[in-house]
Amino acid sequence: GMAAGLEPHLEALRQELRAPDPAVLSVLLALLVVAITLLIWRFVRGRRSSRKAVLLLGLCDAGKTLLFARLLTGKYRNTQTSITDSSAVYRVSKDKSANVTLIDLPGHESLRLQFLERFKAAARAIVFVVDSVAFQREVKDVAEFLYQVLVDSTLLKNAPALLIACNKQDVTMAKSAKLIQQQLEKELNTLRVTRSAAPTSLDSSATGGPAQLGRKGKDFDFSQLPMKVEFVECSARGSKGEEGEADFEGLEKWLAKVA
Amino acid sequence: ERGGSNSFTHEALTLKYKLDNQFELVFVVGFQKILTLTYVDKLIDDVHKEFRDKYRNEFQQKGTLGLLNGTFDFKDDFMRLLRDAEESSKVRAPTVMKTFEQSLKSQKTVKCMIETRGEKPKEKVKNKKNKGSKKEGTEAVAAPGKASAGDKQPSAAGEKEELTKDEILQKNREEFFKRHMKAGEKSSKSPKPEAQKEKGKKPRVWDLGNSNAKVLDYSNSATNGSAEACPVEEFDPDTALGDRNREPGRLYDLEYESDDEAEEEKVVQNPSKPSVKKGGLGGMFGMLKGLVGSKSLTREDMDPVLEKMKDHLIAKNVAAEIAVQLCESVAKKLEGKVMGTFTTVTSTVKQALQEALVQILQPQRRVDVLRDVMDAQRHRRPYVVTFCGVNGVGKSTNLAKISFWLIENGFSVLIAACDTFRAGAVEQLRTHTRRLNALHPPENHGGRTMVQLYEKGYGKDAAGIAMEAISYARNQGFDVVLVDTAGRMQDNAPLMTALAKLIAVNAPDLVLFVGEALVGNEAVDQLVKFNKALADHSMAQTPRLIDGIVLTKFDTIDDKVGAAISMTYITSKPIVFVGTGQTYCDLRSLNAKAVVAALMKA
Repeated sequence: GMAAGLEPHLEALRQELRAPDPAVLSVLLALLVVAITLLIWRFVRGRRSSRKAVLLLGLCDAGKTLLFARLLTGKYRNTQTSITDSSAVYRVSKDKSANVTLIDLPGHESLRLQFLERFKAAARAIVFVVDSVAFQREVKDVAEFLYQVLVDSTLLKNAPALLIACNKQDVTMAKSAKLIQQQLEKELNTLRVTRSAAPTSLDSSATGGPAQLGRKGKDFDFSQLPMKVEFVECSARGSKGEEGEADFEGLEKWLAKVA
Repeated sequence: ERGGSNSFTHEALTLKYKLDNQFELVFVVGFQKILTLTYVDKLIDDVHKEFRDKYRNEFQQKGTLGLLNGTFDFKDDFMRLLRDAEESSKVRAPTVMKTFEQSLKSQKTVKCMIETRGEKPKEKVKNKKNKGSKKEGTEAVAAPGKASAGDKQPSAAGEKEELTKDEILQKNREEFFKRHMKAGEKSSKSPKPEAQKEKGKKPRVWDLGNSNAKVLDYSNSATNGSAEACPVEEFDPDTALGDRNREPGRLYDLEYESDDEAEEEKVVQNPSKPSVKKGGLGGMFGMLKGLVGSKSLTREDMDPVLEKMKDHLIAKNVAAEIAVQLCESVAKKLEGKVMGTFTTVTSTVKQALQEALVQILQPQRRVDVLRDVMDAQRHRRPYVVTFCGVNGVGKSTNLAKISFWLIENGFSVLIAACDTFRAGAVEQLRTHTRRLNALHPPENHGGRTMVQLYEKGYGKDAAGIAMEAISYARNQGFDVVLVDTAGRMQDNAPLMTALAKLIAVNAPDLVLFVGEALVGNEAVDQLVKFNKALADHSMAQTPRLIDGIVLTKFDTIDDKVGAAISMTYITSKPIVFVGTGQTYCDLRSLNAKAVVAALMKA
């Protein structure tokens, strides 16, 4: 039945091809060109990584907004606690055309997860800013936020590069990056036990429980993570005070690598 | 999410703020609390408008970099606006009272006098008569029964027909003053008749009191108990029984008159239909306009949507005042915001409301009990948790569930039975202890009994038992102490004082308020009063308030989960546990996104 129905159409098509009618032929050609263009465009877009954002995360008062301002303008600004995100395009170096979108997210407890949700899919890299001076006091909060970032399912899938920037190194009491790394590893080791032992969430059937961080038997180590983690020391304010430059060559080099 | 009110007070300063949602600016003005400045609101509006107009281009074109790089030289403009606002609010000098000469009253007397002078004698007499009668009339109104005084006036006026100007003026002045004196005369005259009355005082007869009961007894003494008391003709069986046709003994259902209501509905609908038709065309254009291009949100656009959302929230068991405040803050956050293409007002408002709800449910620091217990273990002291709440919310049940969870994680628990009031409270906890020990026998945990009950019977002081329990736990090396208190109503002042004393004296690490998910507007009252009681009776600088909430009976509500929002909104503390049943495994932690999804579901 259906073959019989198609037969006259096929006949008509064959007739057309034999005796080309310019109008119909041009329409067919146009459709073909459009289809090919769409395919090429989708292919190109897919290739060029659609994730072009570098997120600046961290606790309140870690120095994210000042770092953001310094990277973009080089000037010092008095900042307030952010209540919304700010984003701008950052040129990595003068000659290379590579650029990334820097996004500065608020660190306040009631806002941080919400904004992370919004921007995590577009993240190519994450800079986690840590206040090195207040670290001893805040180690549990820092580790908790870092844990939430690390077990996020989207971020585990994309595995963006992670840089832990130990900020405020211009102050004498600042802890070194090595010390911060050790402390964070210890704290995350404990956290993954307590978090996985927490009572299951109300809707746990959908999510299947929190992801396991690192390897089960051994102590937690940053090398066990699927993403590349680096530690760097920096100072957004700069050792020369407000007038001088900021000290973050490590950060700039890492950004150049990522872009 | 608390954006409803726009002022904030801290110590000696008050801050007022205004949001510009289009360009994401915040304008804050701070002033000393003791000064009540009336021009603040106007000033902030003026500053907002001027700043926005002056730098509008920079915001629109340059974006974030413009904000970072741009210099905003606004100081001169601001000083000018401030000066204008201050001047506009300066208090005017109090008005000077008019002197007697300027008032109309004195002018009136002179005028009246002039009129009588210039008229013919006949008319003079008539006028005078009229004047007299007028005066009498007014006096009759003002002072009834002072006819004697009133009579004096016209007679006096009638007698003196030819007077000099000055004499008349003087006479009028006398009359004028007399009128004022009349009030005095009145009062002086009234005591006289009263004095007369007092002499011949008769005993007052009150209807109800002092008289004999016999006088009041209207009952017919002969008729009590006798059958023929009620005259037969007064009883009409037809009217008494009503419907004669009913079956004897059958109970009929309540009759439901649905016809009238249907009629009313039809009547109401008909006038609304033509308006819908008329609005249809305009509405369509508005919708198209909303779909394409940038339309900024106004209050009028958002109001109907917000009303619906507020009713929806209240239907989902969110406390009424909190729903109102939430909608206010969403309105403030969205006012003036430019919508993107293909977004409707409803979707924007819903999105903003959803974000606000998620934000409410994830407040400050997450309470991680296991982490804190480990910390306390390291310091070799027990971790103390206190449960408080009103009667019947599930404190003891959830205490048992939480101790089960702690044992599963390898911590030993001491339960302190500080409910010394309710019958069976101690036995209940003893049963739980026995069951938990049966589930986790000491052999599995290296010979250590995981759960023990510390009780001192009934009728004792709860705070004392708690203190003893904590020191016992420290000596015996228990990891956690769970203190169960008696349920109490938030209005019961002595019991609230007792609870506050228990918490202030023992300084627990965690104070959990147990609330049931079925509670509606009561949740607000309960939490406010509990927190207030804890704050009032604490001696310390920073009083121990409620640290977390346990939401119980969550399985009884299917999607009316509004109580969670009410409780976290009032206290800003997280919901630590959720109880979903009566077995030991029915303990969950809150999933903010799931709860908000259930709330927003239509």
